[in-house]
Amino acid sequence: MVYGEGSERVRALDRISLEIGHNEFFTLLGPSGCGKTTLLRLIAGFEQPTEGSIRLYGQPLEGLPPYRRPVNTVFQSYALFPHLSVAQNIAFGLEMLGKPRAEIAQVVREMLGLVKLVGYENRRPAQLSGGQQQRVALARALANRPKVLLLDESLSALDLKLRKEMQLELKRLHAETGITFVFVTHDQEEALTMSDRIAVMQEGRIAQVGTPTEIYDAPNSRYVADFIGETNFLKARARGGVLLLPDGSSLPTPVHTPDGEVTLAIRPERARLSADGSGISARVKDVVYKGTDTIYLLELPGQEPFQVRSQNRLGALQLVRPGDPVGLELPPEAVRVLKE
Amino acid sequence: MATPSREVTSIAGGSARRALERRDLLTRWALILPAGLVLVGLMLLPMLLMALMSWLEPGSFGGVRWGHYTPEAYIKFLFDRNLDDSLSLNTDYLSIFSRSFGLAFITMLITLLIGFPVSLYIALQTPRRRQWLIFLVTIPFWTNLLVRTYAWILLLRNGGLIESGLKQMGLLQGSLDLLYTPIAVQIGLVYAFLPFMVLPIYTSLEKLDWRLLEAAFDLYANRWKALWRVVLPLAAPGVIAGCILVFVPALGTYYIPELLGGAKSLMIGNLIQQQFGASRDWPFGAALSFALLALVLLFMLIYALRFRGKGSLL
Ligand SMILES: Nc1ncnc2c1ncn2[C@@H]1O[C@H](COP(=O)(O)OP(=O)(O)OP(=O)(O)O)[C@@H](O)[C@H]1O
Ligand SMILES: [Mg+2]
Repeated sequence: MVYGEGSERVRALDRISLEIGHNEFFTLLGPSGCGKTTLLRLIAGFEQPTEGSIRLYGQPLEGLPPYRRPVNTVFQSYALFPHLSVAQNIAFGLEMLGKPRAEIAQVVREMLGLVKLVGYENRRPAQLSGGQQQRVALARALANRPKVLLLDESLSALDLKLRKEMQLELKRLHAETGITFVFVTHDQEEALTMSDRIAVMQEGRIAQVGTPTEIYDAPNSRYVADFIGETNFLKARARGGVLLLPDGSSLPTPVHTPDGEVTLAIRPERARLSADGSGISARVKDVVYKGTDTIYLLELPGQEPFQVRSQNRLGALQLVRPGDPVGLELPPEAVRVLKE
Repeated sequence: MATPSREVTSIAGGSARRALERRDLLTRWALILPAGLVLVGLMLLPMLLMALMSWLEPGSFGGVRWGHYTPEAYIKFLFDRNLDDSLSLNTDYLSIFSRSFGLAFITMLITLLIGFPVSLYIALQTPRRRQWLIFLVTIPFWTNLLVRTYAWILLLRNGGLIESGLKQMGLLQGSLDLLYTPIAVQIGLVYAFLPFMVLPIYTSLEKLDWRLLEAAFDLYANRWKALWRVVLPLAAPGVIAGCILVFVPALGTYYIPELLGGAKSLMIGNLIQQQFGASRDWPFGAALSFALLALVLLFMLIYALRFRGKGSLL
């Protein structure tokens, strides 16, 4: 997908190939400007792909204008009609479809209840808070029971409590309605908790697609590992089935790895400080107590700073102070080898 | 404006407070004065003068006879005074009024029908092209309307450009006979007032958030429904402004019917002009002006009442 012409050309999406299942909660995750909105706009029909095609339940969508696609969008900017009341906004799609009045009134009432805006039906959008507007936008799209619901950062304007509530509501709606959700967010935690599958995007491409566990446990690149959750990276060299670290210590390879330079990704909660000083030798730089966890910031010779997160279970408290030499234990299943 | 001084007064004592309030009042009046002078001097006084005139007897060589009051001018509008001093209904002036309203109304409709799509087209262009097109719309203002109306005579008259063009295309035999008809006046009015429709509508369309149009498309509205349900309501202030800016001045135009129309396409403006000119009946001219003003106000009132409660319009 290319925007603009000549010198103003922007390749917003490049070689995207995705298959989204029926009634799947699919999340597009990526930093600002990576092309999430553009992908939604292609599905909704506001942009035409410069190459390639999009199909909905086998039917090609090329040439179908947005108003003929059984797809509704919750816009990033809400795009509520300022001249219409909340109820009229929600009723808009159904009216355009020529549904009978009684049915429309019924659905509007249902939707108002769903997004907790009963009593607001006669307000204008300008008289609502940002979060309330977002909920109207959600109700307006859901009222039509589309085949696919596109949500562009639809929860970002809500406060934490309401956001958690709406997350649950969305999940419930998703289960009840059988609608396929394509959800855009740049909040990785939201993506992990809500989604059936996640596509992590990077500069117009898809870096990785998978279930939240796959993405979290088996990131396929440093970019994905870094973007989702916190990750430690270690430089190493693979040779003959072992991973050699610059300080001379070695680890078994969890999967077969061809010889060469590699990067190891290790989640902070999967690494351990050894009780007897065995393992990779490191020095404690800082200890941060976080209530449920304690974070140990370690220095390893020739490596980036390394974090270990350990749960503060009863009796598990280790007496380690900044400056102490410690041993770092990396269980083979905690190590993910990235080819970089 | 009053709030800052009020904050001070809670601290300041009685006399200081009165001084402050007086200063505040003075500033306020000083600020209103220029606008007030313009309104009173250039609007209210002439209007009062006209009102007074309409109730006086005409002077024999124009002007009025001060101190000689009579309602004759208003009677003359509706009735003929027979030789025996009895009155009989005369609809001549009324028909000129109704024709003027008709012409002005049709002008408003046609300029709206042309102006709205044109404004929409311009508003949908890239910003640079928009500036260009708006510039083109305003170009006619650079030349005096009188000159441009004369140009229409050259176009419309028998043997003129339009006639010979039609003849060459074989669409016309005989002569066009368009000049000095109400249709010629209508063409002239539409031509003259079109920019006054385009500019306000364009201004309101330019401010429109086009993402709303995408939302409408997303919600199954096709182009027409999106236009009716979203674009038009949001452009309503511009449309209304345009209608008023076209209708009211079109009603009072004077030299377009004067130049392009014949005796049968006289408009109110011409009638009024005649009273102050050749007919030398200033009170009647003044009375006609007031009748016009009253009718326009009545229309506006009806309009305001009709749309009351719909809030966002106007
Ligand atoms: N209409 C447009 N014309 C030209 N370039 C555009 C246009 N819309 C988006 N882009 C570019 O395409 C790229 C992807 O934009 P997009 O809006 O899809 O990002 P996004 O992932 O939704 O970001 P965000 O999280 O900030 O909403 C960006 O580099 C952007 O500058
Ligand atoms: Mg976006």
